[in-house]
Amino acid sequence: MAKRGLRRRLGMVPTLLRISLLGMLVSQFAAGQRVEGDPASDGARIFAQKCSMCHGERGEGIAAAVTIAGPSLQAEHEVGRVMTAVESGPSHMPAFSRVLSVSQIRAVSSYVSTQLAVIPLTGGDVGEGGKLFRVYCATCHRTAVRGGALAFAGRNAPALTDKSAALIAGAIRWGPGTMPAFPPAALDDRQLASVVEYVKFVQHPPDPGGSPLKYYGPVSEGFASAAALLMLIGVAGWIERGGKG
Amino acid sequence: MIVKTLSHWIDSRLHAAKFVRSALNHVFPDHWSFMLGEIALYSFMILVVTGTYLALFFHASAEKVIYRGSYHALDGETVSVAYRSMLHISLDVPAGLLIRQMHHWAALIFLWAILAHLARIFFTAAYRKPREMNWLIGLTLLLLALVNGFFGYSLGDDLLSGTGLRIGYAILLSVPVIGPWLAFLFMGGTIPNPAAIPRMYALHIFLVPGLIAGLLVLHLGMIWRQLHTNYPGSKRTNRTIVGSRLWPSYTAKSVGLLLLVFALVAALGGFAQIDPVWIYGPYAPSAIMAGAQPDWYLGWIEGAMRLFPGIKLHIGHWLIPELFFPAVLMPSLVFGALYLYPFVEKLFSSDKGDQNVLRLPYEQPFKTAFGIGVFVFMLVLLIAGGDDVIAVATDSSVVELRRILRILVIVAPPIAAMLTYPVCARIRRRKAAVAATTPQEIAVLEERHEGSATSSEELLPPHLDEGPGSHLRLGRTGASPTSEMGHSDIF
Amino acid sequence: MSENEERREGGAGAFLNLGWRLLELGWASLKLLGTVVDRLLPAKVAFEPIPESGRAADRKMESESQMERREWWGTLFVLCAFLLAILGGIGFVIFFWSGSTGTKLLGGSLAVFLGGIGVTLVVWARWLMSQKQAVEPRHELQSSPSEREDASEAFCGGVRDVRRRRLLKWMGLTGAGVLGAMVVSLMRSLGMSPDASLYSRIWKGGQRLVTLDGKGVSLSSLQPGSMVTVFPENKIGSERAQTVLIRVKEQLLQLPEERASWAPAGYVAYSRVCTHAGCPVGEFEAEQSLLLCPCHQSTFDVLRAAAPTGGPAARPLPQLPLYADADGNLHAGGEFTAPPGPGFWDIL
Repeated sequence: MAKRGLRRRLGMVPTLLRISLLGMLVSQFAAGQRVEGDPASDGARIFAQKCSMCHGERGEGIAAAVTIAGPSLQAEHEVGRVMTAVESGPSHMPAFSRVLSVSQIRAVSSYVSTQLAVIPLTGGDVGEGGKLFRVYCATCHRTAVRGGALAFAGRNAPALTDKSAALIAGAIRWGPGTMPAFPPAALDDRQLASVVEYVKFVQHPPDPGGSPLKYYGPVSEGFASAAALLMLIGVAGWIERGGKG
Repeated sequence: MIVKTLSHWIDSRLHAAKFVRSALNHVFPDHWSFMLGEIALYSFMILVVTGTYLALFFHASAEKVIYRGSYHALDGETVSVAYRSMLHISLDVPAGLLIRQMHHWAALIFLWAILAHLARIFFTAAYRKPREMNWLIGLTLLLLALVNGFFGYSLGDDLLSGTGLRIGYAILLSVPVIGPWLAFLFMGGTIPNPAAIPRMYALHIFLVPGLIAGLLVLHLGMIWRQLHTNYPGSKRTNRTIVGSRLWPSYTAKSVGLLLLVFALVAALGGFAQIDPVWIYGPYAPSAIMAGAQPDWYLGWIEGAMRLFPGIKLHIGHWLIPELFFPAVLMPSLVFGALYLYPFVEKLFSSDKGDQNVLRLPYEQPFKTAFGIGVFVFMLVLLIAGGDDVIAVATDSSVVELRRILRILVIVAPPIAAMLTYPVCARIRRRKAAVAATTPQEIAVLEERHEGSATSSEELLPPHLDEGPGSHLRLGRTGASPTSEMGHSDIF
Repeated sequence: MSENEERREGGAGAFLNLGWRLLELGWASLKLLGTVVDRLLPAKVAFEPIPESGRAADRKMESESQMERREWWGTLFVLCAFLLAILGGIGFVIFFWSGSTGTKLLGGSLAVFLGGIGVTLVVWARWLMSQKQAVEPRHELQSSPSEREDASEAFCGGVRDVRRRRLLKWMGLTGAGVLGAMVVSLMRSLGMSPDASLYSRIWKGGQRLVTLDGKGVSLSSLQPGSMVTVFPENKIGSERAQTVLIRVKEQLLQLPEERASWAPAGYVAYSRVCTHAGCPVGEFEAEQSLLLCPCHQSTFDVLRAAAPTGGPAARPLPQLPLYADADGNLHAGGEFTAPPGPGFWDIL
């Protein structure tokens, strides 16, 4: 079942890539790698063999426009989350629960979360994060991180409402696709942690004023007020019903 | 009782009885389309009431402070005092956010109502003699409302409105020859300037509302003096006005409308968040956000700015900035055309004397088609003003959308006009045919309605009228105004 | 004619009338309330029905029972609506004083109060009031020739009483002109003349590029496809001085001849203020090296000296020449190629 699902996904990729990738994966399945050994080097080896082609050698992410690309893992500090991802294969990632044994999964996950995760997510200040966010990020993702339009064909900046802190942090450093990368000279680790903390906050901002109308700003307010006027015209129609003018 | 004594007291000092009588007998036509102007008026009243409350809390200064208030995501940020007081009103003052949201929603509804009212006046040709002055005043009111709305939401010095102010400054700058002078006059210097906020505040709460109120008095006074128009119908001629009297029925309807407008604004203010300045954050020179639009009534200018191509125009070594055409020239032409319209139409019309009976839109096919064309033009621009939000909402490309809108803005208005003309002409022909078929029957019906010998509703001077007005004697407190029943229009 | 007199009276008092009308509206509501209460007292008859005196246009006749039924239902309806309104109002007061001042509760109860009373009044107007149509004659707006003559005589006669009229006219004109000049002078204090700051090109040769928190940038700071916002050392956070520093792959750059040395190791710097309407050009598209402005979607090609490639901007972003010193720190090699920001008449 996993194989069939995988082939369907692979069908979206250009032929050459598909053939080479298929070859690689089939060879893994065929070889049936379930060798036990030293967990630490095991983790590194498994990563290099199975993960680095999508996630990059140091887990920095592959910046490609095709769906096979994998995000940066350099902020994935939680070994549990990594294990779940490896087992179940979220989004475009294949599931490795049948390819790797439980101890192998544990090994590679701990490798990722201890060795590769170099971006710290602590020590941020939400206020400063907001300030930097409005200089660098709001311009594409909008102030409520619900995604924004980009003026070139093909892509809009995605909404970040359901993205984990690790994913966001990784993306900022890596610059997936058309997004620019922000190296430490632009945002040092503490500033990065601040920005991530602010993004997590604004995923679910307090809405003391009522329904946020999808955070579309003056556009939705214009629609709502037009609807209000139409209602008032209806009210006027009721008041003067039967009136001939 | 009290009313009698008070009325006598006032009357003996003001000779009030005669005009009270004529005032209470004043006739208003019975149609919902005459209430559009009232909706605008009542929205303005709500704006004044809620605005007064807000003005008691708002602090219009651009001085920078460190924020240490109740919104923790901004803790430590450098914000202006104005922005801080906006947050204070929104988050700390009890009912502050409700009143603030009511104020903003009322402003949006105010401008929609003015627009609907303008459309009604335009399409029913109510701007003809003797009402040309009121047309001019009404347009000026629209302009003032537009400007005041812009100043109003720019007072908070948040990122969204700060972006708008930048653009406003650039628009002033783009005027040939005098641009830099205009921009520096408005801002008090180069952008950003701390003088802008107190200046806009004085204009927004004092000068412009004062002008609006003054013009409103003129506007309403003229309507009172000249009396409303009527839609065509039985007994409605250039020499008569038909409708219900101010006292008691129109009073009840109008006050009811006021309260219902107020209720809707209160509901919106309570349940629909508007202008969440805490999410936008304070204006900062290097901060910028996507999805930045002005309020809807400036969206047509915003759309024009987005659609107009980047042409570089030099006269000698002087530059005419590309922003001038969509943001200054186009709006000036539109408003100029609106101001001149009644006088231009007069040149082509054969109307003589006072025009107190409205023309239905289908009776003027050419004008209606032209009006629909202009309306569609504005609508496309308005949509273009929000094209990036539409692109995100529909997950499409804003570049494609812009391409489509650029074509639409040229092509759609003439098509709409060309479609409207034959529709109007056809309706007109059909109505004329119906009217011509049964003149005998219609005459009989008319006679029947006017037949009764003791009818008190004919063309009698008001003081001989036996209608409800004549029952009203000041001081007869037991008299109910609902003394004559007979209407069967259930609900 | 007494009728015309009356109309003129009404006209003259129109403005006072508005204030009077507002007072009367307030009193009318109270009176209506009194009428309802009247109805509820069984012994008292609130009003005598007046015999029908003829039909008005646009109205059908109703039977007595129909009339009574409508009145009964109408009274019930307004009672319910009014009761709801009062509950809403009391709710508002309770919510407010008990501290639960959320906008939903306050706004909802306020809306119920206002809406309830509004519905009460409207139902009263439609069900519990006469729907009689009134027909009034319109007075002639144009004054009669004799009236016009009288007015004209009043004015012209007064003018004739004034001696030395031409002198007065010239004095008036001169005074008005001087007053106008004085008013304009007062307005001068509102703004300054456009000064050098409008034409300034901000940077000076040799100034270091620093980020928002004051750190310098060097050749190793960015990788190709990254950007950062920089300022001159003495103008950190300034609106007009903000500059975007981008690193691209050097071989992709297609700068004009005279700017070939402005981009060490693929670093280019442009003014961050859009030349269209002045928004910071914050969006950077890394794959095609485009700078995008979020306000009106202008695009600028980073590889070709920020030439506008789409959208409404007409002029390229001013470029800043760069050079790296011995330690690799980036410095400005001169000023911007043009004053930053939106264009104006004599921007040159």
